[in-house]
Amino acid sequence: MHDNVIDRNKDITILEVLDRVLNKGVILTGDVVISVADVDLVYLGVKLMLSSVETMERLKSGQAIGVDGVKG
Amino acid sequence: MEKITYSLLSVKNKPERLHALLAGMKGIAGTDLYELSFDEITVVVSNVSRACLIAGQSTALEYAGVIETLSQHFTLLPMRFGSLMESNEAIIHMLEKNHPDIEQNLLKVENKYEFGLKVFCDSGKLMAEIRVKSEADGKTPAKPDVKIKNSVSRDWLNKKLIEHRLEELLVTYVDSVIAEITGQLDRLKAISKIKKMVTPTTIIDAVFLLDKALKDELIHTVSDLQNKYPGLNFIMTGPWPPYNFVDFTVK
Repeated sequence: MHDNVIDRNKDITILEVLDRVLNKGVILTGDVVISVADVDLVYLGVKLMLSSVETMERLKSGQAIGVDGVKG
Repeated sequence: MEKITYSLLSVKNKPERLHALLAGMKGIAGTDLYELSFDEITVVVSNVSRACLIAGQSTALEYAGVIETLSQHFTLLPMRFGSLMESNEAIIHMLEKNHPDIEQNLLKVENKYEFGLKVFCDSGKLMAEIRVKSEADGKTPAKPDVKIKNSVSRDWLNKKLIEHRLEELLVTYVDSVIAEITGQLDRLKAISKIKKMVTPTTIIDAVFLLDKALKDELIHTVSDLQNKYPGLNFIMTGPWPPYNFVDFTVK
């Protein structure tokens, strides 16, 4: 029913998942998170966030890109 | 070893149901899940090494998968990936200290889904349509009457004035689409967070929180909007756990 608006494209869904789990949700403050969520993890989160919107647009325009090919 | 927390949830009088569910699940890197509680608030946890957390995208997806499964059975507040604590005692202390905020947020999202909506456009085509319409309406004359003798400067200024005016009209158009969306969603009593003009082609990036029972109505509403704006591309995703509607930071 009304499938024309609900998007089941796997790559777009994965980007949406990553955007949420890396950038949203309850935040824990304090040194524990900062010290363990080190540069690589934070960088990964920012990199994915920067690419997520543009990658979605490329996917919708039909340009092929694999899930592992998300580039910042 | 660290303790990674997945979500805060309310088990009310059904703690055994959560325990049974966790017994059949795994956390990131195949770790065992367990729960810790204070009063009626429970947090789902697993023990992880730092190496697990920088394994990449697949680890984040595993983490999200745990939250997704839990959300199908319980009202919950998803934690951001990388939410670590040192010990079980620290976790219990965190629950106790933040109990009022956690309880209030759980109440807010109880029996509700989050949905995402992005609206894309072909920016070149849309601007061309706006230009044609605005010239027809007389809002942007084909050649603005700029009184500068130097033709190069005049032409440049004309061009800039038209571009500025068209950008204003684009914003006005996007605002009208947003007003249409929010007007429709007011009927569904949805809480919404909307960003506009995120990129030249993503004119709207929105999330909504609404009663689970109204899911089909929301889909129907967005479908109608898509039909009303055939030049735009409405992309909905969901339902999601309420990632975008958690309004506090755990101390």
